[in-house]
Amino acid sequence: MSASRQRWLLEQIPDWEREGWLTAEGGVRLRERYALAASGPGLGQIMLGALGALLVGSGLIAIIGHNWDDFSRPVRLLFAFLPLLAAQMFSWQALRGGAAAWVRETAALLQALTAGACLALVSQIYHLGGDWPDFLRAWFLLSLPLAWVLRSDAVTLFYLMATAIWAVDQYDSGLAWQNSPVIYPLLLIGLLPRWWRQPPPGAVLRWFMALNAGLGLGAAVSFAAKLGSLSFSKFNAVLLLWSVLAACFVLLPLNARGMAESTRRKPQVVLGGLWLFGYGLAATFADVGEDLLKGTDSALRLPAGWLLLVVLAVFVALAVRQRRWAVLAIASVVVLPLLVHAVFPSSSHGGLLAGLFTFHLAGVGLTLILLDFAGRPAAPRLGAAVLSALVLARMADSDLSLLAKGIVFIIVGVAFLAFNFFMSRRRREVAR
Amino acid sequence: MKTLPLVVFALAVLAQWLVPLAAIRQHEKVLVEGQLVRLKCTAPDPYDPLRGRYLAVRPEATEADVDKELKSYRGPGYAMLAIGADGLASVTRLERQRPAEGLFVRVRVRYAHEGKARFDWPFDRYYLNETLAPEADRWLADSLRSTKAVLAEVRVLDGRAVLEDLSLDGKSFREHLKQRLKTAKDP
Repeated sequence: MSASRQRWLLEQIPDWEREGWLTAEGGVRLRERYALAASGPGLGQIMLGALGALLVGSGLIAIIGHNWDDFSRPVRLLFAFLPLLAAQMFSWQALRGGAAAWVRETAALLQALTAGACLALVSQIYHLGGDWPDFLRAWFLLSLPLAWVLRSDAVTLFYLMATAIWAVDQYDSGLAWQNSPVIYPLLLIGLLPRWWRQPPPGAVLRWFMALNAGLGLGAAVSFAAKLGSLSFSKFNAVLLLWSVLAACFVLLPLNARGMAESTRRKPQVVLGGLWLFGYGLAATFADVGEDLLKGTDSALRLPAGWLLLVVLAVFVALAVRQRRWAVLAIASVVVLPLLVHAVFPSSSHGGLLAGLFTFHLAGVGLTLILLDFAGRPAAPRLGAAVLSALVLARMADSDLSLLAKGIVFIIVGVAFLAFNFFMSRRRREVAR
Repeated sequence: MKTLPLVVFALAVLAQWLVPLAAIRQHEKVLVEGQLVRLKCTAPDPYDPLRGRYLAVRPEATEADVDKELKSYRGPGYAMLAIGADGLASVTRLERQRPAEGLFVRVRVRYAHEGKARFDWPFDRYYLNETLAPEADRWLADSLRSTKAVLAEVRVLDGRAVLEDLSLDGKSFREHLKQRLKTAKDP
């Protein structure tokens, strides 16, 4: 539960006790269960702290940017290190004194900014070239430990964005693998100590993580394809690799607590699922299906393709063990081109693949709806949306008259709205 | 307070000092011990010779001979330099492997094809004070239009290059700037 909702709940408890809706013992238990940590920061506090640190850091960078020509090189170098030293001392105090969360955030962000400013000034004094990806890499690596020890979400966000930008930029760099996006998974794993023996990340941070990890891992997969002598022109192969990656996202192993959380707090499932449904829907068109089969053939010649499939297989096994049928249904979309390619290696079966995709997506849509009626974790509205999109895609692809298409569109739209209405009522009844 | 976070923090602080200090040591060594090399500069982008607070510096040589077997190569390379009778350096050849001896600078090869390669120098800007920047911009544009060459003075040691100064007619560009500013004040 978010801090604001917790705060609201705690504010209601005295009223509920007064009106007799809640016993005194129940009130105590609720207060214990949803107690806000003493150092628990409000979002406003954290944002103001981060803004202050950003302003101070930006001011320092601007002063440094003036380039104090009148001073000697050693004096200018001193300018670079003094703010860093001050920020480090501030962080040390925050760390040792067990400071409030917003102070830790401010200290960590300020130290990260002054570390970047120090590197920038050294580059300026020695007139180093404009190779900004190298600068960015040094900066985010030097900032990473601050996210761990000061438990800073602001530095975590910076690290996530910086690593993703760096990985995407390095795709076309022509560098050796150790300086390429291939190392992005390691950079991502490097962030894990941030949550060691700490509460899991909040919803906003999770979305940031999922989006940036998607970008960074996508760049890593594309570069791995390039290392395997597969040019970006064979886009369909890269598309398949990205789709396997999306399936891995959807099936990312979770503990019992993670599985019990709402879909809104699982952005990896939402983003991966959206990608896979887009991919599946496109594959219901025969010419696209043919291209995808060609891409499957190219992708399976790559070591990166097989590595991704091994990861997917492990994730599938874990999901089956945990009976996560809904996510398994979503991820199954990516398996179809692999199966068709295994049975019919020639790429001339695009029509067959398109037909199979149509039936498969219809099955996935129904599964997502029926699982809800069976009382299992599901996504009935997403299932209905998939079915509707499928009908619309088939109609758009058909030779029917505009009148017939229009009528079908209206019927599907009304059915979708009615289903949505029905599900809302059902939810309310179940809640009672 | 647990020890591990403090140790990690101390290591992070150490790294935040060591990385810039290592860069400083490396570049100071080149400036002190490196051989002075003068490279003729061409006109930078005429619409953007000065971006922000630095002068865009482009040595004339951006292409050199390379092994013909090196096709479509992109990545690090080494520009072999030779000093001519006029005291100016020229690039004689590009090597992919680090040479065992000689005067050379590590560069980034952009593209190699048919025995020729285009490359980027490890320096492309000269930072300067923002109050001097507009005059420096005009000086560079005027100088590049004249017949005399603007030279990038670079210190080179073990493949590393550090841009030390820009000069014209044997004088540092700073001296030219001072002269121009003085003339502007007392015409």
